[in-house]
Amino acid sequence: MFNETILIEYLPILIFIVLALGISGAAVIGSLLVAKQKPDPDKNAAYECGFDAFSDTRGKFDVRFYLVTLLFIIFDLEIAFLFPWAISLKDIGMFGFWSMMAFLGVLTVGFIYEWKKGALDWE
Amino acid sequence: MSEFGFLDFNLVPLLPEVFLALSAMGFLLIGVSFGDEARRVIPWYALLALLMTGVLVSQVSFDDAIVLGGMFKADAYSGFVKLLIIGGVMATLGLSMRYLEQEHIDQMEFYVLVLLASVGMMFMVSAVNLLSLYMALELQSLSLYVLAAFNRQSPRAAEAGVKYFALGGLASGMMLFGISLIYGFTGSLDFGTLTASMMVMQPVPFAVIFGLVFLLAGLAFKLSAAPFHMWTPDVYEGAPTAVTALFAMVPKLAALALLMRILFEPFAYLVPQWEQIIIFLAVMSMIVGAFGAIAQSNIKRLIAYSSIGHIGYALIGVAAASEGGINAVLLHMLIYMAMTAGTFAVIMAMRRGGRSVERIDDLAGLSRSQPILAYALGILMFSMAGVPPFAGFFGKLMIFQAAIGAELYALAIFGVVASVVAAYYYLRIVKVMFFDEAVLMLDLNVLSGPQRFILACSVAFVLFFILSPSAFIDSTQLAAAALFPGR
Amino acid sequence: MDVIAVFAPFFAFVLAGLLNRQIGDRGCQIVTCVGLLIAAAASIKLFLDFALGDQMPYVRVLAEWVAVGDFKVSWALRVDMLSVVMMNVITIVSSCVHIYSVGYMSHDEAKGRFMAYLSLFTFAMLMLVSADNLLQLFFGWEGVGLASYLLIGFWNEKHSANAAAQKAFIVNRIGDFGLTLGIFTIFLVFGSIEFETIFANVADQAETAFVFFGHEFHALTLIGLLLFIGATGKSAQLGLHVWLPDAMEGPTPVSALIHAATMVTAGVFLLARFSPVYEYAPFALAVVTVVGALTAFIAATIGLTQFDIKRVIAYSTMSQLGYMFFALGVSAYGAAMFHLMTHAFFKALLFLGAGSVIHALSGEQDMRKMGGIWKKIPVTYVLMWIGSLALAGVPFFAGYYSKDIMLEAAWARDTGVAHFAYWLGIAAAFMTAFYSWRLLFMTFHGKPRASAEVMHHVHESPPVMLVPLFVLALGALMAGAVFYQPFVGSAGGHEASAAHHTEPAHESPERWNRQAFWGPAIQVRPGNDTLEVAHNVADWVKRMPTVVGVLGIVLAFVMYILQPRLPGRMKEIFSAPHTLFYNKWFWDEIYQFVLVRPALLLGRMLSLGDRKVIDAVGPDGGARASGKIATALSHFQSGYIFQYAFVMMMALVAVLSWFAFRMG
Repeated sequence: MFNETILIEYLPILIFIVLALGISGAAVIGSLLVAKQKPDPDKNAAYECGFDAFSDTRGKFDVRFYLVTLLFIIFDLEIAFLFPWAISLKDIGMFGFWSMMAFLGVLTVGFIYEWKKGALDWE
Repeated sequence: MSEFGFLDFNLVPLLPEVFLALSAMGFLLIGVSFGDEARRVIPWYALLALLMTGVLVSQVSFDDAIVLGGMFKADAYSGFVKLLIIGGVMATLGLSMRYLEQEHIDQMEFYVLVLLASVGMMFMVSAVNLLSLYMALELQSLSLYVLAAFNRQSPRAAEAGVKYFALGGLASGMMLFGISLIYGFTGSLDFGTLTASMMVMQPVPFAVIFGLVFLLAGLAFKLSAAPFHMWTPDVYEGAPTAVTALFAMVPKLAALALLMRILFEPFAYLVPQWEQIIIFLAVMSMIVGAFGAIAQSNIKRLIAYSSIGHIGYALIGVAAASEGGINAVLLHMLIYMAMTAGTFAVIMAMRRGGRSVERIDDLAGLSRSQPILAYALGILMFSMAGVPPFAGFFGKLMIFQAAIGAELYALAIFGVVASVVAAYYYLRIVKVMFFDEAVLMLDLNVLSGPQRFILACSVAFVLFFILSPSAFIDSTQLAAAALFPGR
Repeated sequence: MDVIAVFAPFFAFVLAGLLNRQIGDRGCQIVTCVGLLIAAAASIKLFLDFALGDQMPYVRVLAEWVAVGDFKVSWALRVDMLSVVMMNVITIVSSCVHIYSVGYMSHDEAKGRFMAYLSLFTFAMLMLVSADNLLQLFFGWEGVGLASYLLIGFWNEKHSANAAAQKAFIVNRIGDFGLTLGIFTIFLVFGSIEFETIFANVADQAETAFVFFGHEFHALTLIGLLLFIGATGKSAQLGLHVWLPDAMEGPTPVSALIHAATMVTAGVFLLARFSPVYEYAPFALAVVTVVGALTAFIAATIGLTQFDIKRVIAYSTMSQLGYMFFALGVSAYGAAMFHLMTHAFFKALLFLGAGSVIHALSGEQDMRKMGGIWKKIPVTYVLMWIGSLALAGVPFFAGYYSKDIMLEAAWARDTGVAHFAYWLGIAAAFMTAFYSWRLLFMTFHGKPRASAEVMHHVHESPPVMLVPLFVLALGALMAGAVFYQPFVGSAGGHEASAAHHTEPAHESPERWNRQAFWGPAIQVRPGNDTLEVAHNVADWVKRMPTVVGVLGIVLAFVMYILQPRLPGRMKEIFSAPHTLFYNKWFWDEIYQFVLVRPALLLGRMLSLGDRKVIDAVGPDGGARASGKIATALSHFQSGYIFQYAFVMMMALVAVLSWFAFRMG
């Protein structure tokens, strides 16, 4: 049946998943079986260049880090999008070209907005 | 490179959506550039933009054009639903303006988000590809997540936003999984091709039905059909009332329109299978809608349950799987939207000492302090309960007729029983308004001109629908016929 | 014109009803009176267009109402002679009553509400008569019923008024049930409820029959009888008449407008409107004749013995309605409409006059406590005389023309049933004259029997109450002579050919004959044209009503003026009939015994079972269960996201397992 012919194209992915599971599983289970287990409270302590930890490891981050990261990811994605587009521009024609222009336009509007709002200023 | 004409693709059927999207972005830029000066005008610009979009929708000839490489279809069905969406959004904006000022959350982002959500909804009803469907749904949902938490000062609004977002993400995941299953077993995302494959593959593989179940579960979440309704009461209660009004009126309609397109186009050959799911959802929704509301004391929660119940009735019409059923669903949703708009106008009028109050008991004695408001809400509640001769009765009547036409007798009877139970809590509001003594009076003259106008229109619609029902039924019939071509 | 005539009262009602508080009592009175006067002016203009001009009947469609498959109903005004005559009667009498009420209700607290109800009634009645289809007619029919209910119980602090209002409502419901069945049957037979379609197809359906429970029913007869049941309720014919006397609990202007001049004639109008159908249902017509004649007779006998001034007039109304029905029954539709019109004038006059008397006597309604007041209220006295003369059919007053032509038509019909009606009608005419003058003499003559204090207050009514009376009196004097020719006059040299009434007559006098006047609104089959024959009946038949009428007056004069002890003697001699008449033929008691008590008993028994079994399991149990389900459901609504997600997943798994189970 024709749906099986489609599914067969996904066989490599399935094989890859199985292999990945197998290798990572082997690593975890192997270390569990082969290595020597010597539990010690110091082994769970935070490591900070040889001296005792100043504070809890789960320290608070400034929320602005996240904001910048999020804004960065958008442009990251944009680049990730532009590569395949540039490669296949010949095939997707004018429609493809203008689609990307529209996408860039929308991103630009968003960029102007965040700039004006002051999301890019640290202080 | 020879194909590089300037525009070798047809954008005309997309005009309304493109216009609205550009307007939204334009308002965003204007708003962020001019700050406070823009804040006062943007609501009116937004209304104007919606109005023009409505004009475009009704004027652009669609001819069932499929554009964007088979992603987008403009037909009479989508045209009608889009007009309803635009009308609902306009009503919401009319209701919101004064409310946002009162709550000090009148930022221009609200309007931009509402417009973007509208764009998403308009794409939803025109989507004829599972991919564009998902994209449109996410555009709508992401806007709505933010809107739910729009009142940043209120912890309850933030909670509502987070709940909606987290559960919405889960629902999206289910949907995507369903779509991938369907794609995996049919090799296509396009509705036309899917229809053809379903016709060839008989019996349809198990996995496709599984995919359909996942897809429907995701959509049921958007519809707030039980048992995927859990977010509804919390979000309705927590979100600002203006946003709740939007939630109650518009996204459900878009999701329902989308649901019907999926069920009647690609899955038209799976009626016996999906009918079971829809009946299950309908029955559960009616039970939850009828019984859940009884214990509520917050009017927004009550409306949430009421909307769950109404979705249950609408799903009866979907389960009928006939042109009459679609017609009934569209009419029912139209009437429900009109009633809800008026109800929210009254809810927004519930303020005491400048602060909004939401308990049903706060309505006590309204018939003496503000009789016009009390009578208006009374009429709307009777209509919601489906008491003739108000409009709500006809919506239910058409639904039950469609169910009987499809020989779903048990479901129709169940619907009638559920609406009897539901009548209890609608009438309780009437009782509180007219027979209970007020402890504290509500503020007088809270409503703005647009809010009064919407309330008046809503009540007039409910009252006078009986005089000329054919005016509305004719247009819903046309839309239904477009989706259900002579099968 | 037609739209103004019908909707002016509606707007008056809306203004007076909704803006009651804003415009005040005075504002309500002005708005409603002006609205009615405008409507009356428009109606008169319409009538003149028809009667003198060349106006042809037409239907004005206002809006589409319902269109479901083949079932199409519009809001439309059907304007032909029949509806125009009714519109004139309604708007003119209603205007008079509106203006009169300003004075009569001046001591009442809810004047605005009263005026609004009156206008609502008028609008509903106009809707009824101008209906183009049965649904709209039914709308008006129920509308007048509602207004009647509201107005009978207007003084809702009085227990008896509430009881009377409910009685009227319930009894009318029985009649309305007949009417609705009739409408269903018509839709079944004709596939339409539009008058045009029905009347056009009557001849085709003349032979149609139903088989029902193994019996065969002639369709048109069945329709005729069902519609007649509706008419019986609304027009207080024998059997369903019990509500009318009690309805006198309402304020007197209401009695005049609703329970004398207009609403109670709705049944007459309905039958006249359906003349094309009745012409094919001779058995239904015979039933109508018999019931009408019996009503005329029995109501008159009751009227002889009553002491409440308004009840006497109420029974007289019932009796006169009986006349109209037997006139309908002998195919003399024009005569029935003629009497309807003249009766509206003189009966409204009598009622309003009686109201004036009651007003003068500080609310006293018992004639035994009246008497000797004619010098104090001379204008009312004269007006009451005019009304009574017209009612008794004394020559040249309105009632003379209309009553005589009905009796002549009954004789001309020349069947057993019709002769029966004629003789009962003659007997009733005698009694009518007698009780009318009994009323006059007891009220105005003799020694004053009211307390001195009341007598001291007796005063003539203010002009605002008297002017409408003059208008009505003019109608009672003139309406008969003027409209005799067009309403019932001989068609003269013109042959009674069907072609004739469709051609427009160009000279106005030519229109002043019966057939041209009514046009296609009333249809009479050639063999049934009793009105034509009625003009040629024997002389004694024509004179009889007048003679017995005069005899009745003389007898009343003898008994109540010359020999005041005679009535007492008569009562002893004829004690059995008197008891029967005085107790209204025991109708109420019979209904109480045969219907009400068993029904109550049954109801109590059922209610016991209801409470113990059905309520416990059904509503009460259901309500308790609902509460429990609601609580159970609210436990799910914990507010935790993970729980919500869990429910969603479980539901998904459940649906998937269901399919796996079904398909696996």
